Amino acid sequence: MGELALLLAVPIVAAGLIVAVPSRRWSPRFATLLVLGAQVGMAGWFATRALGSMGVRQVMGGFRVPFGIEVVLDGVSMLVVLLIAIVAFAIVWTIRSGARSSGFYGLCLLLVAGLTGVAIAGDVFNLYVFLEISGLAAYGLVASGRGGKGALSALKYLIVGTVGATLYLLGVAYVYVVTGTLNMADLAVRLPEVAGYGSPAVLAGFVLIVVGLGVKVAIFPMHVWQPDAYADAPDDVTALMAALVSTTAAYALLRVVLDVFTVSFLLANPLLHDVVLLAAAVSVIVGGVFAYRQEDVKRMLAYSSVSQFGLIAMGLLLATETAVFGALLHLVGHAVMKAGLFLAVGVVSLTVGVRTVDGYAGLVKRSPVLAGGFAVLALALVGIPPAVGFVGKWYIALGAIEAGSWWMLAVIMVSTLITLAYVARLLERMFMRDPGPKEDGLDGLVTLNATSVSVLVAAVGAVALGLAGPWIGGLVAPAIEVLVGA
Amino acid sequence: MDRGLGCTGDRGVGGSMIMPDAWLPGLAVLVPALSAGVIFALSKRPNLREAATLGAAGGAFVLVAWIVRLVLAGEKVALDAGVLVPGVRLAFEVDALGALFALLASGLWIVTSVFSIGYMRGLKEHAQTRYFASFAASIAATLGVAFSANLVTLFLFYELLTVATYPLVVHDETDEARAAGRKYLAYTFSGGVAVLTGTVLLFWSTGTTSFVNGGIGSVAGVNLGLARVVFALLAGGFAVKAAVMPLHSWLPNAMVAPTPVSGLLHAVAVVKSGIFGVARTVLDVFGPETMHQIGMHTFVAIGAGATILVASVIALQKDNLKRRLAYSTISQLSYIVLGLSVLRSEALVGALYHIPAHGFMKLTLFLCTGALYVETKKKNISEMAGVGRRMPLTMLAFGIAAAGMAGIPLVAGFASKFYLLLGAGDAGAWWIVGVYVTSGVLNVAYFWPVVSQAFFEEAEADPKPLIDHPMGGQAERDVLASRTPLNDAATTGFHRVPVGREASWLILGPLLVTTLGSLVLGVAVDSAVFMALAEQAVEAVMAP
Repeated sequence: MGELALLLAVPIVAAGLIVAVPSRRWSPRFATLLVLGAQVGMAGWFATRALGSMGVRQVMGGFRVPFGIEVVLDGVSMLVVLLIAIVAFAIVWTIRSGARSSGFYGLCLLLVAGLTGVAIAGDVFNLYVFLEISGLAAYGLVASGRGGKGALSALKYLIVGTVGATLYLLGVAYVYVVTGTLNMADLAVRLPEVAGYGSPAVLAGFVLIVVGLGVKVAIFPMHVWQPDAYADAPDDVTALMAALVSTTAAYALLRVVLDVFTVSFLLANPLLHDVVLLAAAVSVIVGGVFAYRQEDVKRMLAYSSVSQFGLIAMGLLLATETAVFGALLHLVGHAVMKAGLFLAVGVVSLTVGVRTVDGYAGLVKRSPVLAGGFAVLALALVGIPPAVGFVGKWYIALGAIEAGSWWMLAVIMVSTLITLAYVARLLERMFMRDPGPKEDGLDGLVTLNATSVSVLVAAVGAVALGLAGPWIGGLVAPAIEVLVGA
Repeated sequence: MDRGLGCTGDRGVGGSMIMPDAWLPGLAVLVPALSAGVIFALSKRPNLREAATLGAAGGAFVLVAWIVRLVLAGEKVALDAGVLVPGVRLAFEVDALGALFALLASGLWIVTSVFSIGYMRGLKEHAQTRYFASFAASIAATLGVAFSANLVTLFLFYELLTVATYPLVVHDETDEARAAGRKYLAYTFSGGVAVLTGTVLLFWSTGTTSFVNGGIGSVAGVNLGLARVVFALLAGGFAVKAAVMPLHSWLPNAMVAPTPVSGLLHAVAVVKSGIFGVARTVLDVFGPETMHQIGMHTFVAIGAGATILVASVIALQKDNLKRRLAYSTISQLSYIVLGLSVLRSEALVGALYHIPAHGFMKLTLFLCTGALYVETKKKNISEMAGVGRRMPLTMLAFGIAAAGMAGIPLVAGFASKFYLLLGAGDAGAWWIVGVYVTSGVLNVAYFWPVVSQAFFEEAEADPKPLIDHPMGGQAERDVLASRTPLNDAATTGFHRVPVGREASWLILGPLLVTTLGSLVLGVAVDSAVFMALAEQAVEAVMAP
């Protein structure tokens, strides 16, 4: 019993070893890839097991639930665990910002361990612990770039992120005081029984938890750390963070809202429900508008994440079966799309130092593979069928109608046009303008390398995920039914 | 009705029912789609690359012709490629309406490809590989639209069509072209979003999006207000590409594209995918009976009628020939929409027949315009005095197609308009009859100056401004002032050339073929396969 803990133990132990053992004879990068490869294998193995049943629940250290530490792998967390392992492997494999110390790779593995922990944590306190582990690793990674800007952004990220985590912990404390338990499944039962959904302590706990996680997800207006952190972090770190960190935080939000507080809580507090939905909707629109106004491509994609995570939050807060699956699919799809996009942006920034929207003029002439892959990913993000961006949006839209929220339907549809606006601005420059003069342009960009291939793979993945949407839906349907309580 | 997350579909085509024929529509879409990749691969070898275009065009046409033969024989050609989203399958099912549109698009692609080769090489255009590849991708998407068995599949190809045509609109890479491209994307994607919203609502309220000739049965049970909203979103969304006013303004701007693009895509494939969407919405989603119940067809008719007249009047004022043709297209497309809104058999036949009729005639006009541009670099009608001597066959073809546009007998436009008038009269909608007749007169008014400039004017002669001036005339000196620049611009004059030597046969051949097509569609109405398809489509709708 307790094999699930391997998902956490292997990367943590490996991280320690990589930092501790002097690396004169071996490459830390290679060792990291080996560990991440093993992680992918383990995730795949556990995923097949989680699918057959209603999920795998294991306690650690021999204590019985609800007192022991429980880890849970069901259809939903399985998707996230797989995503973390595969994307981390692909990013570490394909892109490097200069020579990296073993400390850097240690942090990478720690990040993966922390994120995986968030995905499989079965109680709200351990969720906090893993959030902080992944957070600390992320602060370190952002600061690992040369120059002061990265350090400053990391400090900002550290302060805001810690405030978010503290708010979350405060919320957990309220809930614990009322119910006397931290286990998610137990909380779901005890909250209505012991305290009732209307109790002020429970309401305060919910608000604090949602705001705290909202900071981690970077929902407007709690997003302020995110564009700076993305823009000033080293390019490989940006790809890793954009693909995984906010994604996992959004997954945590999904878990806590639907598994701990449950749909009944949202139904019992319609005003609160409307307010959080409104916040998500505002994030969708404002993030998109900000993205359109950026000159720096990384910042543009960062604000785009604010907008897309608003959409995901909207889907999970709508809390119908269809909408939640839409949110989950968009969560995974967005991670793949953003990983590909940030890899492309990263390699351009690394090799030729171009970072602005205007600098991308004529990219297609320098590297057609990169430009082509980027275009497919960008259009997938807009929601052109049959890519995953469309399928996710279809489910969320259908969920909005089922919930009778007509204005949410409008927001989802308008978000398509806003996404198109900022994406088309970049694509037009990449494809329909001549490259700038040779000295400061894109000259020197390699036509084909591991990164452009990865971008292409991400593009194919974005389309394949879209086509596989209904199939994935069939796989995770039992887990989502449990979540939504249908 | 299962709207859960599982892999259920509302249209089951069992494994045993899949005949070899089922692959025909899939292949017909795949051939041009894959050829786009081949064209990219052959970018360094232009002759082979063009051979790939022509091969794909020929192949797609043969496949579509085969499908048409099956459809006319009453067989069902359907392909089911799996679940797209739960409850909706990625599926093709070709009925007479789809076959008609596919036959038109794939047939005219061959002609336009030949012309494109002459045009692009004649002008030594840049980025020819991108051009031919995007063209092939656009045709693939158009065929996908034609074959789609449900609204979601149609939406998929409809959006891909937008993406595939964008590089063609922006082909020049000038600021003007890029601005036109932005406008094109903004308009068509906004329309797409409306269509998607309507589709989701339809799916939610009826549990299906599959087309049924004569209307989806369960639509009648939907609450009236919601049905109206769904109809407005679907028809309004599709009307953007169909360039119904006031949603038309992307089309004149998109004329910055190379002329074959304007010809095939912005007179046939793209705009008619919008028309096709409206037709599917009216005939196969709501159906004539439900249309009467929700009573939205009157609004459609008013919008289309106004578009016909207003666009014609604007066309009168355009000196740039392509822009005049663009407004003519806007006006003629609404002929079809107006015909659909009448909801009578004859009018529907006329409307559907006008899809190929207008396609052949308008493509002829654009190809003539392109030929003029390649040979003389003239874009404006005021500079074309006497050009009939230099390009007699071209201008003759232009004259024939223009006559057809005005509905003069022996050309395709007469046949379709005859049915449209019959249907409108049958419905007792005399104002619609009036609109069609008035529009015919306006067509003469805006096409005659082109023909008369070409054949009956000299470069030195007086310009003949039509209604380019304030009502009630203007003072003599203004007229004089306005003449001077015109005379300066047109002092070159044109030489007479021997018949058949006016342009490369790559250019002349296609436009003569489409002219011949316009005549055949006008004279041998019953023997032309399009009429049979149109009648079959209308029968299926009116007597389900």
